[in-house]
Amino acid sequence: MWESALDGRRLRFHLAGINNQNFIMQDEETGTWWQQVNGRAILGPMKGRQLKLIPADIVAFGVWKLDHPRGRVLAPDPEIEARGDEYAQSDWERNMARRRVVTTLPKGSPFEPRTLIVGIAVNGHAKAYALTDLRASRVLLDVINGRPVLIVAADDGKSVRVFDRRVDGRPLEFAATPHSVAIVDGAGSAGGKTAVPRAPLLIDLDTASEWDFAGRATSGPFAGKTLARVPHLLEYWFDWQTYWPKSDVYKPWRPTPKAVDRLEVPKPAS
Amino acid sequence: MRRLLWVLVLLAAVTAVTVVAIPTLTIMPFKPQTTRILEIAYPLRQIAPRVTLVCLVIVSGGALFLLRGPRQPAALPRGRTLRWFRQPLVRHVARGVLLTALVAATGVVTWFCRQNHFEWMFNPLPNVKYVDVGATKSFLTDDEMVMGIEVNGLSLAYPVRQMAYHHVVNDMFGTTPVVVTY
Repeated sequence: MWESALDGRRLRFHLAGINNQNFIMQDEETGTWWQQVNGRAILGPMKGRQLKLIPADIVAFGVWKLDHPRGRVLAPDPEIEARGDEYAQSDWERNMARRRVVTTLPKGSPFEPRTLIVGIAVNGHAKAYALTDLRASRVLLDVINGRPVLIVAADDGKSVRVFDRRVDGRPLEFAATPHSVAIVDGAGSAGGKTAVPRAPLLIDLDTASEWDFAGRATSGPFAGKTLARVPHLLEYWFDWQTYWPKSDVYKPWRPTPKAVDRLEVPKPAS
Repeated sequence: MRRLLWVLVLLAAVTAVTVVAIPTLTIMPFKPQTTRILEIAYPLRQIAPRVTLVCLVIVSGGALFLLRGPRQPAALPRGRTLRWFRQPLVRHVARGVLLTALVAATGVVTWFCRQNHFEWMFNPLPNVKYVDVGATKSFLTDDEMVMGIEVNGLSLAYPVRQMAYHHVVNDMFGTTPVVVTY
């Protein structure tokens, strides 16, 4: 999502090509080529310029509409719908997962190329979190380039939000409570067959105020406060790695399982 | 003179095809690209419409001229029989076929470089329309992913399923032009 004005001129973009599986767009006005993933002009008269990012909330529709009941949703093109099944690629991600990847990852790369990651960049420093790791930990605290962040994953395994965990300039520590809250109001979708996504209810360890998936304190001393969002991308690892070759990677701590084959009974002192 | 014209026509046809083929064949979805490839492809893509048009004029003009003459075959040394491929009729037909093919090839690439073949597969969305959250039942379920943005006090959601098809959506909210990409 980019603000498409530069130097007071509106630019209109078209699909113009592909660069290692990330598309290139061309603007009608100057003919410059732009890289979709980072909004940077790579060739042409505007080369080197950068479009202004509009941070996007990448979540399940049910989650989004709870926070934006008066929001507007992009309508499908009736012409394309009339043509039949062209939109019906709800399994796009699954489809793409089978496609091969053209770039080669450096040796010792921590993930498979098509691993879905959440990528966060703070002032030129990037860090990637595998979606499965986020889902397992539900709540994650980190500091990226000096910025304290809070990452929360809903149990649908794909809706993730990233916040700046400072309140009034002071970084807070958060923890998931044993409770989770439904983040979709209705009975889900497809005739109520889909499970209703839930997100952990958080508390901060300073005041034990409760915080929801929208980063709002719903009770306690901080009630009414809202955490600032931090932009993130839901991306394939190979693509993130191409544009952030020095990206840090979150490695979850995992206990090393210790093989126990017999009970260790302390020997009696003789 | 005719030989020179033949060379010119061939050269023009090859130039036109090359200028269009290089960027088209290097910038393909399941091939790797390098900065160098893009640096070559980009200027070719920019000049292709003009270059192909000039080439098309040369190729079709030259072909017309070459097709017309000479009516009489060159005089043969006496007593020699012609091999089959030297027969005037064979030569005439072969020349016709070759020149037609050159004109056709140049014509096709001249047309092709004026198309956006990426948009053949992923149609742009010129008329961007939105519906209220309540009116989405026919095309969107609660568990599908969307990309939500807030611009000028408006909240907008772009379903990934639609964006994976269009890839690029241009719109304007108040004074803020926006390009939504996926």
